[in-house]
Formats: sequence, C-alpha cells, structure tokens
Amino acid sequence: MNTSKNLIEEIFYDDDIVKKFTLATLLWALAAFIFGLFIALELAYWPMNMNLEWITFGRLRPLHTNAAIFAFAGNAIFAGIYYSTQRLLKTRLFSDTLSRIHFWGWQLIIISAAITLPLGYTQGKEYAELEWPIDIAITVIWVVFAVNFFMTIRQRREKHMYVAIWFYIATIITVAVLHIVNSIAIPVGPFKSYPVYSGIQDALVQWWYGHNAVAFFLTTPFLGLMYYFVPKAANRPIYSYRLSIVHFWSLVFIYIWAGPHHLLYTSLPEWAQTLGMVFSIMLWAPSWGGMINGLLTLKGSWDLLRKEPLLKFFVAALTFYGMATFEGPLLSIKSVSAIGHYTDWIIGHVHSGALGWNGFLSFGMIYYLVPRLWNTKLYSKKLLENHFWIGLVGILLYYISMVTAGITQGLMWRAINKDGTLTYPDFIETVVRIVPLYWVRALGGALFIIGFLLMCYNIFKTIQMTPKAQPSQAHSVTRTGYDEVTKETHRKLEGMGFTFSVLAFIAILVGSVIEIYPTLALHKYITPANLVNPESPLEIAGRDIYIREGCYLCHSQQIRPIVSEVLRYGKASTVEESLYDRPFQWGSKRTGPDLARVGKKYPNLWHYSHMMDPRAVTPRSIMPNYPWLAEKNTDFISLRKSLSVMKHLGVPYEEDDVANADIKAQKQAKTIAEDIEKNGGPKGLEKKEIVALIAYLQSLGQKAQGAAQ
Amino acid sequence: MKEGLAYFTDTYLTVIGLAIFMLFFCGVLIWVNRKMAKGFYKEMEQLPLKDGEFSHERF
Repeated sequence: MNTSKNLIEEIFYDDDIVKKFTLATLLWALAAFIFGLFIALELAYWPMNMNLEWITFGRLRPLHTNAAIFAFAGNAIFAGIYYSTQRLLKTRLFSDTLSRIHFWGWQLIIISAAITLPLGYTQGKEYAELEWPIDIAITVIWVVFAVNFFMTIRQRREKHMYVAIWFYIATIITVAVLHIVNSIAIPVGPFKSYPVYSGIQDALVQWWYGHNAVAFFLTTPFLGLMYYFVPKAANRPIYSYRLSIVHFWSLVFIYIWAGPHHLLYTSLPEWAQTLGMVFSIMLWAPSWGGMINGLLTLKGSWDLLRKEPLLKFFVAALTFYGMATFEGPLLSIKSVSAIGHYTDWIIGHVHSGALGWNGFLSFGMIYYLVPRLWNTKLYSKKLLENHFWIGLVGILLYYISMVTAGITQGLMWRAINKDGTLTYPDFIETVVRIVPLYWVRALGGALFIIGFLLMCYNIFKTIQMTPKAQPSQAHSVTRTGYDEVTKETHRKLEGMGFTFSVLAFIAILVGSVIEIYPTLALHKYITPANLVNPESPLEIAGRDIYIREGCYLCHSQQIRPIVSEVLRYGKASTVEESLYDRPFQWGSKRTGPDLARVGKKYPNLWHYSHMMDPRAVTPRSIMPNYPWLAEKNTDFISLRKSLSVMKHLGVPYEEDDVANADIKAQKQAKTIAEDIEKNGGPKGLEKKEIVALIAYLQSLGQKAQGAAQ
Repeated sequence: MKEGLAYFTDTYLTVIGLAIFMLFFCGVLIWVNRKMAKGFYKEMEQLPLKDGEFSHERF
C-alpha cells in the first residue's frame, strides 16, 4: 500500500447508483404526497372513503407515513449519503453489486408495503406496521447497506472522517438496533404476527423506536447531508466545525432518551415519563446548535440566495428544523402535552419537520445533484423559485391550520362548566368545529404538491439537456492524512472508523438500556388486585380486525388522569388493563373518542349500526362506513394458533381455551348475533367479522377480574 | 412537589441518566476546546470543498 500523499490516482465515483436513488426519491415522493393529500381529503369529506376497504383512512394512513419516511426520505438519504461519502472519503463505493442489491431490494420492500398495507396486513405499530417477512427483508437490505458503507470507509483515501460521515455512521447503527429490537414478533401466519412485548412494555419499546425513527432516520442522516451540501452549495466551510462535534455527540446521546414524551400521562411509570420530558427539553440545545451552525455558514454571504436560489431550500429547511425542534421539546412539557397530545397540533408539528426540514432539504439536494450527475445545467431557475414559494405557502397553510385545529380541539376537550360538567360532552362537537381547517390543510398539501410537480418538470427538462456523448469523468485524488506524524488524539479518534462506531453505539446504548429497564421490572408496577382477564377467542378475532382496519390511528385506548378525561371517558387507565395487549393499542391521535372504556356503554345493535353507517347514530360523524365487515366471515380456524402463540408468550389461557378456541368463539358470536337480531338488526351475522369486532369493543374496560366474577 | 415525587419509584435511574449525560457533555466540551484542536478543525472544515466543484459554475 502506497501511503505517499504525493501519488495522484485517477478514480471513478459510482454516480449511477446516486442517479438511481435520486430518481426513486422523486417517484416515491409523489406517491407519499398524493396518499397524504388523499387521506387529508378523507378527513375533510368522509365520502372520499368510497366504502372501499382498501382505501379507508385506517388502511392508507400507514401507507402514507411509510412512503414518506422510508420511500421518499429513505431514497433521498441513500442518494445523498452515497454521493457525499465517495467524495469525502475519496474512494468509489466498496461494491457496485452491493449498491445495486441495496437499491433494488429497497424498492421491492417499498412495493411490498404498497401492496400489503392497503390489504390490511399490519403489525399495528406506528411507523413499524410492516409484517414480519418484510421486516426481515428490511434487516437484510440494511445490513447490505451497512457492509457497503463501512467497507467504503475501510478503503478510504482520506483518513479523517468529516462530521457528515459521523452522522451517517450513527444513523446506520441506530436504525439497525431500533428496527431489530422493535420488530421482534412471533409469526402466526405468513402475514400475521404478535409482538413479544405487550402493554406497557410494547408502548415503551414502540415509542423508543418511533421517536428515534424520527431522530435517526429523519434527523441525523439529514444533518449529515446538511453538513455536506450546505457548504458545497454555498462554497463556504461550515460556520463552526467545533460546534458540529458538540452538536453530534449531544444529539446522539440525548435523542435516544426522549421517547417516553410520547407517553405522558399514560400508565407508564412516572419517573420514565419525567426522564423523557427532561431529555426532550435538553434536546433544544443541540438541535439549535445544529440549526445555527447551518444558517451561520451563510453569514456575510446572504446575497448568495439571489445568485443560487437552491440555497433558499436549505435556509428554509434549517429554519423549519429550528421551528420543529423548538416545538418538540415544548410539546414534551407535561402541561403542554396535556393540551396538544392526541390532537392535530402533533400532526402540524410532524409536517413542519417532514415537509419543511426533510422535504425542502431533499429538494435543495436534488436541485444541486441533478445538474452535476447528468453533467448539464438546471433547466430553469425561475421554476425553482416558483417551486420554493408555492411549497413554502403550502407548508405554512398546513402547519397553521393544524396547530389551530389542535389547540382548538384540545381546549374544547378540557372545557368544564362551573357545575363541574363538560362544556362539550359530545365528542363530535369538537370534530365538526375543526373540519373547515381540514380543508385548509388539504389546500396546503395541494400547493406543496403543485410546487413538487414543477420540480419534477424542471428536473425532467434538465435531464433532457444531458450531452449525448458522456464519458465517465475520472477524479484525481491523493491519499491524505495517513502519513501524518502527530500526537493529537483528535486525529487518532476521528481517523478510526471502527472505534468511532463503537463509541457512537455506546452513546445510544446507555439511554436505551436505562429507558427500557421498566419493561424488565414490570412486576414492580403491577397491582394484583387490578389484574384483568385475557380476551376471549372471539374478542381476539375482533381485535385483529380492529388492528387490520387501523382503528388505533383515530381512537386511543388510554384515559389520562386529567379531570376532563375522567369526566368524559371514566377512570384513568391502569397498567394492568393493557397487560396482555399485543400490540398495545394506546394510540397517538383522537380523531374519534377514546375507546378504553367503551365496552357495555352501547348495545350491540348500536355498534352494528355505527359500523355500517356512523351517521345513523352519530350525526355529522366523519368516520367511514365499514360495510364489508357484515359480508366477510370471521377467520375462526386460525384462532387456535393465535391463542397458542399468546399462551406461549405468557397470556394465562387454559389448555381448553386454546384447544377449543374456534368453538368458544362461535358460541360467543352466536349469542351476540342473536342479540342484534332480537333488537331489530339483520339475521345471520354470527359468522361475520362485524360480530367479532363488536365482541372486542364490548370487552374494552370490562375485563377486570372482579367484574368477571 | 412532595406529592409528585411520591410517584417516583426509580429515582436513582433518573439521577444516573442525568449524571451520565452531564459528565459526557462536559467531556465533549473540554475535548473540542483544547488548544491543539483548532488547527485540526480548520483543516477538517475544508474537506467538503476540496473536490473542486463549485455551484456557481453550474448555475
């Protein structure tokens, strides 16, 4: 190996793979945005659900979030990482084959998600809905990506790793840990499984995952891209490299702790909630450190925004990053969370990050990359400018409408009269009030898409201008940093890829272990007198239908110990009530009311009528109709397997419950169907899915052992 | 305050968490502010700009 820094080598970067990921980013971005707009319209105008099971809000919402996070943002970060890593490390990617397996494998995973989610195959965990075979595929492809990336680091010609590479390393390691730990499940069938965690354990692991999916899929890789592409586009070094190091370590260390802020006022142990809240507030500092570092890179050169308009996207992205990372810790303060949680405020918050930060940073990066990758010039700066302003107005409309809707609804839920009764006892009153804002949100989303379509046209025309004869360009590079004689420990640490990766891993491990500790010591939080009976076989079948239809996306099952909630829904939820729930169904949004204690509140016929046409019993409801539930038969046969897996996982079923699960379920179904018929409902429903779902809904909040006896 | 703390069942974990972070954070701050680091960081911040592609040439 020649380590002389004077030897000039001619190398070819693999830009073909960057082109592939860039085009895939555009394709999947369009899909994610269209699905988003469609489900926004479904909320504003319920007939958009069209009585078709595959396109109801509950089925398409996971498709929208998965497309936005893993398809759009995923392809964008792969494009940016592969482009910048080669240049920062002065080497071609380790393996062309691994790069292509990574690309095509990832696209296949996206297509699998696009097929299975509308069909109702879901694990029912937010942002981790994909069923176990796809989870395995994700793991395999992520390992391929990791091998390709780390072997590229190993064969680098630049010994020192720029801070962007650090962010990529943290991303690859942490996403692998999060995905594997959260996805562990026992299969019940080819497309069905139950997680090994239940109730409070599942809630904690899921939001440790969910929060850090935002941190390590939508934040750290994009910060790495920011640290590379903003200096490149502005042709200026980052404002403070020193700050970038403090930013990196603080962010990686703190972010991992903050998951429990999604579970404030739930039955999660108080100390874990407070720990999550404190670390969320501490996140303010490193997040703003990063934002300031990015923005101040343009200090003294703001005129560049006129000369190079793509910088506008970067500046706006950093501003939205600052806004979202200010608002996130704010929403983590318990008293603010009491108003904002379960409302559209959270949806507004998420989209200011997703559209403003991830969206605009990706767009800026694509505008930067495409002319270079295709060796041409951008077709139209004017179209770029139009895209920016239309998109910006779209995001602002989206954000303002959702924050307004969220705070309005949050305050209406809490309003209490002088006599101690709820001011708005009918939940639907609080929904109807914000429906006009759902239209404004849809308008904002439509504008964002119009801007994006201008970009697609601009990029298409730019690629059309590619010179016909395009020989691959060789890059002259020298090996640097290897023959330095230095005693500085900085140079040692920052030049050691493996050691650095281990340190980053330890940083995320400390928070994870302490945070997940309660799941290992669950017995400490259980009060034997509060224990509940497990669900009956028919209720399990109904629960599977509840998860399949994505009911948890609009209905929570967790009553917070807040006066207005106890008045509206009944006594606060306990740890024991969701002890056997796999997955937990606490939810994160209340487009409809909480269902934790809905059992026995209404007769069976009410539930039947409600599912067939919600407006028959709740005028002005925006819930879709579910006519197929009265047509499709319940899968009684698979119940033995389901209960067997549950029993294996520790749910206290008797042998008889497992062996005769289908018979017991049919018996209970007959009783419910007869009750519906007796009260004037249709005949012959005992085999239909609607009866299983009613059995489940009627069991909610009714499983206390005392009540059963 | 007393009532609130009564619900804390694992206070030592909260303290351990905060202590680990504070020590770690102080360590990073000392690390990046050592005198010998300055020159190195000056070099490092130039890494992305070294491949000679300047955006204004393309636009």
